[in-house]
Amino acid sequence: MSEVKKNLVHYQDLIIKIREFFYSRKVTEVKTPSLLFSPTTDVYIDSIEVKVNHDISRPTDLYLHTSPELEMKRLLSKGSGDIFQICQVYRDNEYGSNNSNEFTMLEFYRIDFNIHSLVNEITDLLKVLGKTDAVTKISYAQAFSEYGNIDILDADLEDLKKIANSLGLNSDYDWIEDLQTLLFVHLIEPKLNQIPICFIYDYPKEQSALAKIEGPIAHRFELYLSGIEVANGYEEIQSADEYRDRFNNELYKREKISKKNSLVDEEFLRDMKTGLPYCSGVAIGIERLFSTISL
Amino acid sequence: MNYSTSQFKNGLKLILDGNPCSIVNNEIVKPGKGQAFNRVKFKDLITGKTLEKTYKSGESLEGADVMELEMQYLYSDGEKWHFMEPESFEQFDLSEESMGSAIDYLVEQDICIVTLWNNNPITVVPPIQVILEVIDTDPGLKGDTAGTGGKPATLNTGVVVQVPLFVGIGDKVKVDTRTNEYSGRA
Repeated sequence: MSEVKKNLVHYQDLIIKIREFFYSRKVTEVKTPSLLFSPTTDVYIDSIEVKVNHDISRPTDLYLHTSPELEMKRLLSKGSGDIFQICQVYRDNEYGSNNSNEFTMLEFYRIDFNIHSLVNEITDLLKVLGKTDAVTKISYAQAFSEYGNIDILDADLEDLKKIANSLGLNSDYDWIEDLQTLLFVHLIEPKLNQIPICFIYDYPKEQSALAKIEGPIAHRFELYLSGIEVANGYEEIQSADEYRDRFNNELYKREKISKKNSLVDEEFLRDMKTGLPYCSGVAIGIERLFSTISL
Repeated sequence: MNYSTSQFKNGLKLILDGNPCSIVNNEIVKPGKGQAFNRVKFKDLITGKTLEKTYKSGESLEGADVMELEMQYLYSDGEKWHFMEPESFEQFDLSEESMGSAIDYLVEQDICIVTLWNNNPITVVPPIQVILEVIDTDPGLKGDTAGTGGKPATLNTGVVVQVPLFVGIGDKVKVDTRTNEYSGRA
């Protein structure tokens, strides 16, 4: 068998295992549109714009999805129940050995799951894919106290600036979440290299993205495989008002750092009026995940 | 000239804390929901130390005018070590401090790599393997050719290297300059 064929079959085997895993748990596979009317509002993610129908005098600007999240949530709000999707996603302004303008994402949502039940399910999935290493679970705050001796939930913007300066890093950041991330990338991530499977959970509320907030923390987790971030999961916020607030916050930040403006997806918010069922969801980068599973 | 994080690559020479440094590892990290960073490992070309820094994407650093040239070691006057660039015949000298461990291995006429910063020499790297002469060592046991045991030997540059017992005064030996280890008789 040629190398190419071997790799293709290996990839196919893993995809089949993922599908069977979800089918056996009665999670429905879905396919949502990848051409959307609204670009993402995420401050640090950029949509790729696509101009269509110019030649037939019906010019429209569309955007390739950066993740199937909102479209899948629309299905959830309409009663889809548990769903998963494997699809290509597209992002502008990405480069580097672990980043690309196009990659494959596995995204799934589980009704009545909190992040810890979702973490357990991902652990089961990793086992099915042949990753049987011991699993480390550590909160964001524990990671900072253990690897950086920093009380991250107690530190304000000025405290973190001082720490960044003491490490010889530029501390010119306007938002505390960016300094938290700088210090995480600089101090914590390199330590995760040694851990084959590591879930980091309970992020500071400033990094809530679309996850539920409780006190100082957001119910959010990330999965690191040998120091590479592979998955990002939330206990999902459920109401249209919460979504509008989070989107507006991202738009405000985009404006502050002079990024191309975006729009709130009003159609999505209309669907959210009926509310999202209580659920948790996660996005997993397939190429990064598979790169850690040998043939 | 300034270099932005998107231009960072291994081997790029930049000024960091006033010293010329070379990028030895450049990793782009883009958290799922956060801004992109470059996590960079540098080697300080003067002190040899490794530095780790993280930059947000878009930050920039001043480039360092650094060149690595093959030069011939000419001689030392005790204070300075003199080198010549064989094509231009231009001569450069380094202090004992800048010579570092190269002092232990260079004999006259040797070709080595000299690093220039703003046309001033800052470091010198000796050849990986040099041939030096034993000027002092205890007499070894005759017939020991297995090299199982070892003994210290002083070589003509003054450096002390562990050599097999059969090596005697006046012998020429090969030394690996990266590890200061004997690697055979010359």
